[in-house]
Amino acid sequence: YKWRDCLLTPDDYVFPTSHPWDTVIKAAMRKYPNPMNPCVVGVDVLERSVDGRGRLHSHRLLSTEWGLPGFVKAILGTSRTLTYIKEHSVVDPVEKKMELCSTNITLTNLVSVNERLVYTPHPEDPEMTVLTQEAIITVKGISLGSYLESLMANTISSNAKK
Amino acid sequence: MNSVGEACTDMKREYDQCFNRWFAEKFLKGDGSGDPCTDLFKRYQQCVQKAIKEKEIPIEGLEFMGHSKEKPESSS
Repeated sequence: YKWRDCLLTPDDYVFPTSHPWDTVIKAAMRKYPNPMNPCVVGVDVLERSVDGRGRLHSHRLLSTEWGLPGFVKAILGTSRTLTYIKEHSVVDPVEKKMELCSTNITLTNLVSVNERLVYTPHPEDPEMTVLTQEAIITVKGISLGSYLESLMANTISSNAKK
Repeated sequence: MNSVGEACTDMKREYDQCFNRWFAEKFLKGDGSGDPCTDLFKRYQQCVQKAIKEKEIPIEGLEFMGHSKEKPESSS
């Protein structure tokens, strides 16, 4: 999984939102806390800089509680549900594009969730913003793998709609 | 929202306030030069890096950004 290449095969969700791009990404930067996504319990910025093209890069560390049902935790054989995620975001204020890529850095022996979100102005209506979301979820070494994958995919897509 | 290191939360919030203001009022309006938050960020970072080590969070030394021209300043 390469940060530069962000993502890969689409499981594409495009959500027009009814706000202009600036408003949406100011909110996206302040996304946590978000009462709709109680799973994120801690956020830290690890690095931030403006590159030679005037784009803002941020690297953040997120700690999340998955809120997995008890039986799933039992299957995974872990009572530890605090998961860490690293996120790289790039904001281009001229092109009006914000891209976020995240991947879990713990529980990696069990599951890999790579997510990419891109916010751009709606091509037909500058008062609206388009969010494109892609996720690749890989569950490793568990016979109920495909069930867990769809469980997580449903959680991610219903969170994105909020 | 808290920091992953409990002791760092106050510093994080101070930095976030500074950043959010700069982001909305300067950066998004085309003025990406200057960063009024550097000192706050340094202090906050020292705390976070310590917490990461203590909690043994497996985050490698941030060698990203193959596509940017400027190397970000290392905080450690």
